Amino acid sequence: MNEQQQMLSEMADGLFAEHGPTATVESGWPAIAEVALDGLLLAEDQGGFGGSWEEALTVFRLAGYHAIALPVVEAIVAAALARRSDGRGTVAAVTEGRIVGDRFSGTLSGIPWGGGADYVVAPAPDGGAIVVAAQAGTLDTGRNIAGEPRDRLTVQDAPVARLEGNPFALMALARVAQIAGALDATLALSVGYVNERKQFGRPLAKFQAVQQALASFACEAAAANCAAMGAAQAMSRGSAPFEIAAAKLRANRAIGTGTALAHQVHGAIGFTEEYQLHPLTRRLWAWRSEFGGDAYWSAQLGGPIVAAGSSAFWSGLTALTG
Amino acid sequence: MRALVAEHVDTADPRRLANGWAVPDPAFSRALGAAGLIGMTWPKAYGGHERSPLERYVVLEELLAAGAPVGAHWIADRQTGALLLRYGHEDQKARWVPGMAAGEIYACIGLSEPNAGSDLASVRTTARREGEEWVIDGQKVWTTNAHHAHVMIALVRSEAGSERNAGLSQFVIPMDAPGVTVRPIIDLTGGHDFNEVFLESVRLPATALVGVEGDGWRQVTAELSLERSGPERYLSSTALVLQLIDYARVHPSESLTALVARLAAETWTLRLMSASVANKIARGEDPALEATMVKDLGNSFEQAIPELVQAAVEVDPAGPEPLGLVLGHLLQLSPSFSLRGGTREILKGIIARGLGLR
Repeated sequence: MNEQQQMLSEMADGLFAEHGPTATVESGWPAIAEVALDGLLLAEDQGGFGGSWEEALTVFRLAGYHAIALPVVEAIVAAALARRSDGRGTVAAVTEGRIVGDRFSGTLSGIPWGGGADYVVAPAPDGGAIVVAAQAGTLDTGRNIAGEPRDRLTVQDAPVARLEGNPFALMALARVAQIAGALDATLALSVGYVNERKQFGRPLAKFQAVQQALASFACEAAAANCAAMGAAQAMSRGSAPFEIAAAKLRANRAIGTGTALAHQVHGAIGFTEEYQLHPLTRRLWAWRSEFGGDAYWSAQLGGPIVAAGSSAFWSGLTALTG
Repeated sequence: MRALVAEHVDTADPRRLANGWAVPDPAFSRALGAAGLIGMTWPKAYGGHERSPLERYVVLEELLAAGAPVGAHWIADRQTGALLLRYGHEDQKARWVPGMAAGEIYACIGLSEPNAGSDLASVRTTARREGEEWVIDGQKVWTTNAHHAHVMIALVRSEAGSERNAGLSQFVIPMDAPGVTVRPIIDLTGGHDFNEVFLESVRLPATALVGVEGDGWRQVTAELSLERSGPERYLSSTALVLQLIDYARVHPSESLTALVARLAAETWTLRLMSASVANKIARGEDPALEATMVKDLGNSFEQAIPELVQAAVEVDPAGPEPLGLVLGHLLQLSPSFSLRGGTREILKGIIARGLGLR
């Protein structure tokens, strides 16, 4: 990390730790907006930070680590796609409807923190992306299983602008980074707990079964972090269709092992509302489905590999990084 | 690289393409040596080629992904040559290393003993001084490649009465020295990879001591990052993944596509992790914990592949379909993947220590 990245990391770490999983947009967003963090991936001449995908990874990972209940990740991706430095954007997962000329009628769903947003970027039904003003339609609010807002916007004959880029894939990459961070936080919480908690006269950490379980968890968390890094580096080189698919699949696998072992070593206390394991594990379970679950990304990744045949497998894999 | 592999690798028996780093083929090793692809990072004065560690890494992963039979020279190239260059006496370097780089001299590692497996610090083979010479007595077991090797690096107890990891030293032992006897151990597939090696009053010159007397434990454990994180730790079942891809092409289904995707995603991730460790080693760091994680994840992955494929396709693991042959072979071999080079339990113990749990 260079000095600028170090400063960015420390700033995001402090800010996200302060607001955490109990933040609300009303109470927490002004602090994010004040440092213009949502312009992280926006070019400097467009009023942004001009940050790289590796820097975005750092911020997204910390957002996951602190389970922050604010749409930081979505606002960064939306601003980068819409090339806007004004207002708060967010990104819809699914677009149903049709575009005629520069008007759109239909429904955008899976919108994180649609309430209070200024604009929504969404996948265009025919490729690329569109952006719609959030006030252009009717918002139905909902929540994912972690309690994060996931809303639906219904619009009739609303003006839209077309954008380049793939919001669905970029948000999948963002979720991979958040998963990597949340897994590290879950692991840290688990390690701390087993070192504190005593049973049979000694800390749980001294039992070999517990040690081996958390060692497995550490490997999974490392794999998710490495996958996130690989996908972010690929984005910095241009595009990352293979890498984002592979990274989401790998990170999703790590969630199964990680959350199961975290809850197992915590025992019943980890299952309570009071103890702060669930803001992490419930997010992980929700994020595993968001912006493409295993079925979606398996088809995206596996289809071309099978079509190309075995002789192209290794050469294709190594060509990704040169 | 790919042209060289295509020219020399015999694909007639698809089973030989699996787990290729345990398949010896001296003719292939000599061809690689002649092409300058063994001892790539070693000094030219010892037959090496003074290439960067990352160039070497790329060559290794190409060989393994293609299923090349690199077993004869693998240990010499990965560990023994480098160890001798770092710690060995000049006479020993001159005697062994150029032949290793040529793909003509092969090595084995004498670590395990009948009562020292995962508990390596229990080694009882001894070295005692007699005048200017060392005399070695004892027994090694599970010694891979001993029947092809010209030389062994053995970890032995050089200080009488010492215990655990103190008083151990490494010695270089010519396999044709009087008193060295190799007996095969046939594995459950009928294959011959392991051996017992008996060492009876084997007399060695003073120069056979590798490095510092009594420092053997530290020297051995310092090698482990090299041994644990290489591409051989996750590519052993790649031949089966390739067979599966071609099977899925002929028998298209969502479930096979999903399995191919899962295996590709894991291979991609492990390649990044393994290369990241190689980068750190190239920069002079010792990423021992990351290396251990790569091995644990990689072994678990290459071990899981046969079972996943068997569950996904209807094929006879006895053959004659190539997919079945490779599957049947790897089903039987794969239990060893999480044993060789440090068992899963030992690795997880190391990782747990890194996490601050012990």
